Amino acid sequence: MPLALVETKFFHPRPRHGMVPRPRLDQVLGTRQTRLTLVSAPAGFGKTTLLAAWLAGAADTEVGTRRIAWVSLDESDTGAVAFWSYVLTALERAAPGVGAEGLDLLESGQPVETVLATVLNELSVLPDDVDLVLDDYHLAESPEIQPGVAFLLEHLPPQVHLVISTRADPALPLARLRARGELTEVRAGDLRFTNEEATTYLADATGLELDARDVEALEARTEGWIASLQLAAISLRDRDDPSRFIAGFAGDDRYVVDYLVEEVLDRQPEEVRDFLLGTAILERLTGPLCDAVTETSGSGQMLESLERRNLFVVPLDDQRRWYRYHHLFADVLRAHLLGEHTDRVAGLHRRASAWFHESGEPLDAVRHALAAGDVARAADLVELAIPALRVVRREAVIASWAEALPDDVLRNRPVLAIGLVGGLMSGNQFAGVAERLDDVERQLGLPEAELVIVDRGEFARVPAALEMYRAALALNIAGDPAATIAHAERAFDRAAEDDHLVRAAASALSGLASWTLGDLDAAHDRYLVALAGLEQAGHIADVLGCTIAVGDFATTQGRLGDAQRTFERSLELAEKEGPALRGSADMHVGLSEVARARNDLEAAAAHLRRSEELGEEAELPQNPYRSRVAAAGLARAAGDLDGALSLLEEAVRVYVGDYSPDVRPVPAQLARVQAAIGDLATAREWARSRGVSASDELTYLREYEHVTLARLHLAEHALEGSEPALREATGLLERLAEAAEAGGRIGPLIEVLGLQALAQQAGGDQPGALDPLERALALAEPEGHVRVFLDEGDPMAGLLGALAGRRPEWGYLRDLVEAAHGPSTTTSPSPAKTAIPVDPPRLALVDPLSERELVVLRLLATDLDGPSIARELVVSLNTVRTHTKHVYTKLGVNNRRSAVTKAHQLGLLNRSGG
Amino acid sequence: MNTSGTGEDWYEIHLRGRLDQRWTTWFDGMTVSTDADGTTLIRGPVADQAALHGLLARLRDLGLPLLSVTQVPEEASA
Repeated sequence: MPLALVETKFFHPRPRHGMVPRPRLDQVLGTRQTRLTLVSAPAGFGKTTLLAAWLAGAADTEVGTRRIAWVSLDESDTGAVAFWSYVLTALERAAPGVGAEGLDLLESGQPVETVLATVLNELSVLPDDVDLVLDDYHLAESPEIQPGVAFLLEHLPPQVHLVISTRADPALPLARLRARGELTEVRAGDLRFTNEEATTYLADATGLELDARDVEALEARTEGWIASLQLAAISLRDRDDPSRFIAGFAGDDRYVVDYLVEEVLDRQPEEVRDFLLGTAILERLTGPLCDAVTETSGSGQMLESLERRNLFVVPLDDQRRWYRYHHLFADVLRAHLLGEHTDRVAGLHRRASAWFHESGEPLDAVRHALAAGDVARAADLVELAIPALRVVRREAVIASWAEALPDDVLRNRPVLAIGLVGGLMSGNQFAGVAERLDDVERQLGLPEAELVIVDRGEFARVPAALEMYRAALALNIAGDPAATIAHAERAFDRAAEDDHLVRAAASALSGLASWTLGDLDAAHDRYLVALAGLEQAGHIADVLGCTIAVGDFATTQGRLGDAQRTFERSLELAEKEGPALRGSADMHVGLSEVARARNDLEAAAAHLRRSEELGEEAELPQNPYRSRVAAAGLARAAGDLDGALSLLEEAVRVYVGDYSPDVRPVPAQLARVQAAIGDLATAREWARSRGVSASDELTYLREYEHVTLARLHLAEHALEGSEPALREATGLLERLAEAAEAGGRIGPLIEVLGLQALAQQAGGDQPGALDPLERALALAEPEGHVRVFLDEGDPMAGLLGALAGRRPEWGYLRDLVEAAHGPSTTTSPSPAKTAIPVDPPRLALVDPLSERELVVLRLLATDLDGPSIARELVVSLNTVRTHTKHVYTKLGVNNRRSAVTKAHQLGLLNRSGG
Repeated sequence: MNTSGTGEDWYEIHLRGRLDQRWTTWFDGMTVSTDADGTTLIRGPVADQAALHGLLARLRDLGLPLLSVTQVPEEASA
């Protein structure tokens, strides 16, 4: 992958030998940590060195070990996605299982607070202590990242500590933290070398016995500033007469670093001097890169020798491969370079750009090309980099280039211009996009000789891509499905016959617009074309993503067989492609839903287990919520309404939307369960917040919500005896039945007919109730629907029995009646055994959980954080953490989410045990 | 933010320590002059407040103690 995270940024510097011990600072930092540790001082005060030494010396805690998540930030981390990608990756590496889900959510575009809530949920029960170190925080601090950092800090559990090193105080509530004793501070005044430390340091670093007055003079002149003492020490080495040098230095009032760097540079052999100046433009240094930039050889050894001689290079890894200059030294070197060799600078950047381009690092390649002032070259590089960036979802980078490149360079570069539009649109930046598209259209009218095209292969795609983006604009901005369909169809026609990808994307977009219009037949049709195109283009992972939508149509239309075939076929494709292809877990979730609808609960549970076994690698971003929705359906089928409720609550929390319309909103599913258990107040609150009422105009997109409202009214009648509620429900169901029938949506129609039957029975008219029920069964039989009736519980079981009296010969009906009186109905207390195994066996654990651990596990499945769990159990947080650690070990998981999922699979969370 | 409305605002930044002429390029063409009292004066146009803060951040990164930052009238012969 060309855009993997920069590994060296996770490198946690190790203390170097020959460091001055600083017990007074170790004492300030201590081993018992506050919520925030802030090391705030200008450049060159030894902040990073101090942290490295302190963390290396910090002892184990009484519960677990101490883990360090280290990120060295830089200017490219001011965007929220980049910043949190690094932070969560560092956390995940330090404590596996903590950051993975958050990273998925982040990648799928969830708000940072949602992402962080998930991470905090894991962190709060983490058995071990974690130090999250953000080094050089001032480089990344921006309005985009600041709210998230404040949120994280505010909710940090006690075993996790934030450590920030920075040159400027961060915009965090420092005064409040200070007042609460939650802040440890080390500032410039603390970091300055004392006379004693300076003496030790200079003796070590120079090997000279300096006399006390000299040390005092140096210390006074540098004011204990470590970087300048380091420079002074380098200058002092090999001097015959150190006192004279010190006198000269002390008597000069020039900027300390300037003076000393000049001293150091003057004493270097010419080649070292040239090397230092030539490489000053680089943010990271490695042998081959420096060779290319300085047009010399042997840079690798040069870097090693600089490090040995302590000449301001800092290693960035353990292999002596990457280094950087000490920031302060680099700044002064650059000033020298700019002042003395202005003419060389552009050439250096140009060669650096070329090297990074060859090494497959487009970000640095583009940055150096822009720094060289070579806009045309930068434009070429951006054009070439865009396809790969799109693959790894780094569209934010593309969007940032759209800002960096001047408009006139885009005037005759259609491939580049359309690529930038793609980057902007995927970040929901629509301003000015329509104008950019118009300009691309203008360029397409020009003779090809007037155009600059670097990526020929992409050029053929521009005409179709143009219409595609217009279609997307029409859908997202104008909210105009008809225009979307028109543009998408034009894109399809403009695409080359073998450009399966664009044709597939256009079909999908058109299908999506038809879907939002409720035209399911057209939508299904276009999506099938999209599926075939994606398959031909070899984009199997996208086939799987699209399959979910197709499966949803089929299910909505009541066609379980079609849904099953689509999922199975895509799964087959995926398995041919390799094991655990991204999206294959989602196919199992889809198959689980189909099996459950037919009451094959064993198969449904097996598919869910398979989805879990395949692991996060095999999941699309939607899987966390979809698999919980499926599991909730199973819990409900097993009569465990509380379990269903908590699974759906989790599903709401991890919900990730995509472009598809949300036709079965999870909050509405939650409201249905709330109504079923009699929590009418909460269900009513849902209806109020969604503004859904029985007098609304009915549209396909809100059909599920309206059916939910009808259920709520039925529950109000059943529990509160409200006659108006029953009348509302009856009227609404009648209109819903008409709409579903007119739209050919058999799935909802079956459900609504069943509800009409229940409503009539509730009104005292059982014979009249049997008519709609008979119709529902007739529609449901060909596809083998079962759960849609069984989930309604006892009243439905009674109706089915009555209908069986009228139609004793109907085999399908007999099976339903039999299943309805089995143990899996919602309210039936009958323990009679049937062929349907509801719970997977509860003996899968080699080492069973203790009662106490079971209690902790149940609390882990709730919203409570670590301290709240401790309060609930009236034990210390450490005890909770120890239990959690044991639970994780016994379940073979490493995080809270997996523990809860596993517990559901093992049936450990059912009410019976508590 | 531009009070004159026509061009850039001029600023004068006073630092402790003496900076060489060479730093002129580093400071994007602002004039750098030193005083006999061992202080430095950086003077010139600044595009807007964001640019001013960028400039101050660069000074911070050099570890140069700041004495004052003042907005001054534009210089006729820049």
